[in-house]
Amino acid sequence: MITRRGLMQSAGALSLAAGLGMPAFGQARPFTFVSWGGALSALEKEAFMDPYAKKFGIEIVNTSPTNNAKLKAMVEAKAVEWDLVDVGGRTIFQGRDQDFIEPIDYNIVTNAKNLDKGWVTSHGVFTATGATIIAWNDKAYPGGKGPQSWKDFWDVKNFPGARGLYKLFYYNYEAALLAAGLKREEIYPATDEKVKQAIAKCQEIKPHVKVWWTAGAQPPQLLSSGELAVSSAWSGRILDALKEKAPIGYTYKDGIAWGNAYVVPKGTPHKETAMKVLNYAIGEEAQDRLLAIGTYGPVLASSAAKATPEQAAKLVMHPSNAKDMLIINDEQAGLYMTKHEEAWSKFQLG
Amino acid sequence: MSLTARGHLATALLLLPALLFIAVWFVTPLAQLFQLSVSDKAGPFAPYAQLLGSEVYRRVFVNTLWLALTVTAISILLAYPTAYVLTRLKGWWWTLAFYCVLFPFWISVLIRTFAWMLLLEKNGPINRVLLELGAIDRPLELLFNAGSVHIGMVHVLLPYAVLPIYAAMIRVDHRLLLASDGLGAAPLMTFLRIYLPLTMPGVTAAAVFVFLLALGFFITPALLGGVSAITVAMLIEQLVNERLVWSLAGAASFILLAVIFALLALAARFVPLGQALVAR
Repeated sequence: MITRRGLMQSAGALSLAAGLGMPAFGQARPFTFVSWGGALSALEKEAFMDPYAKKFGIEIVNTSPTNNAKLKAMVEAKAVEWDLVDVGGRTIFQGRDQDFIEPIDYNIVTNAKNLDKGWVTSHGVFTATGATIIAWNDKAYPGGKGPQSWKDFWDVKNFPGARGLYKLFYYNYEAALLAAGLKREEIYPATDEKVKQAIAKCQEIKPHVKVWWTAGAQPPQLLSSGELAVSSAWSGRILDALKEKAPIGYTYKDGIAWGNAYVVPKGTPHKETAMKVLNYAIGEEAQDRLLAIGTYGPVLASSAAKATPEQAAKLVMHPSNAKDMLIINDEQAGLYMTKHEEAWSKFQLG
Repeated sequence: MSLTARGHLATALLLLPALLFIAVWFVTPLAQLFQLSVSDKAGPFAPYAQLLGSEVYRRVFVNTLWLALTVTAISILLAYPTAYVLTRLKGWWWTLAFYCVLFPFWISVLIRTFAWMLLLEKNGPINRVLLELGAIDRPLELLFNAGSVHIGMVHVLLPYAVLPIYAAMIRVDHRLLLASDGLGAAPLMTFLRIYLPLTMPGVTAAAVFVFLLALGFFITPALLGGVSAITVAMLIEQLVNERLVWSLAGAASFILLAVIFALLALAARFVPLGQALVAR
């Protein structure tokens, strides 16, 4: 039976839980690393955090999920609970402009000199790579004959069926312009003209887009069930679903490569450790471990080069895949996302 | 001190903890949010001007209000007969029915939303059963449209509509219905002239609860809705998390709050809201 006492007890339990969740300010807390959860957090714990903690004898707390607003808020409130945070690339530039992350100390992060310049910025360093790729339902296009480019993705005659695209302008700007026939080196800078062209191209495919997905878990699920014939999707999620034999095909051709970046919140008491952990994560020993895990790949080219042919097929940054991909420019993405957000919303509402 | 004055003092003292709680945990954060909304570099009211001046944002507000209104109407239409049946059940059946109404309360909204995705999808159980029965030739498009958003939201909000209506119904004195019957009124007349007016405060309370909760919905329209299902809550989330422009997010919150107050004031002219919301 539902009783008043029962209700009061559950209300009491709720407020107690809320109380326990409050941070204990002023206490020495262990070094805290934050990431997005799922396959990515598992990989970072196994490849970077646990080995570092063991090697240098410190305690590292792994937690999730990353939340940009929370990161900014804790810095503004001067109650920083996070020391090293895995963010999307755009946040590096937002954090730099809004002054809530520390500049990277390259006297400590010396391994950065071995990375491709695209992965190194003043306020954040990329540590693992993935891509937004084209994936499809096996029954919709049997024998691996799915769309092999964004041009094919837009071609509803030869590749009929319901489509899925990301809800925000992110990735869609790049995909639309590639579908419109622009060369990879012509995608940036994101001028007003190109933004207009991208939205017009999206208008073309809009009647065939059934789902504008918001969560990374959606594309593998919707493709497996046949709700969608083809969708843009995050590579790690697709590879993870394929480990469980999901009926999905994919291609890295025309993929939009991106990285997961580490930033250090302004005012953390563990700033030096944060820089050391970051330096370790991009070192060869740590980067090599990403090959065996096989969801998100190394940023370090010399690690990627050690891949077996089977591993290489799944690696975004392996030369055999990278040659067909566009690397996203997160600074430009931040620009078109904020400046043209209203135009994008209008496109979706209309 | 007169007896009534002492009574008032006692009431005030008893209310004090609640008032303090609201002041510390609700009014103060609200004031901070307002301060945030007028802290834009471009001038204190620039965020408000930007939101109200934009056709896109205005449409998001109208969409949200319309969605909340239709969800409220459907919830009330379903809740009224449900609550009535609950008042007629006894013993074990009553317990069972009540649990059926309340059980969804204990399951997270996110999980219920994902459950609807699985149920409604193209190759989901509903379409498969209909296909097996020969009722349809090819799967219905049940997901990612206004229909699926309404199904998901009504499912979540229905208990909030059933309970106040039920509470009003059990207070109805059944002798009044017998008297109406005895005086020769047809059942429909008894319902319209006696039962409906007596249960109306419950309906009003239910409508207000459901409407206010529906205005803040975020997960369900985001996951079950089509491309144009953008609500104010989704807009605010995007401004807070993606664009990190908190002055705009604060302004959007206050505009929504102002719209809610205006609508409640308007509604109060037609129905006695105070009577509906204050438990006696």
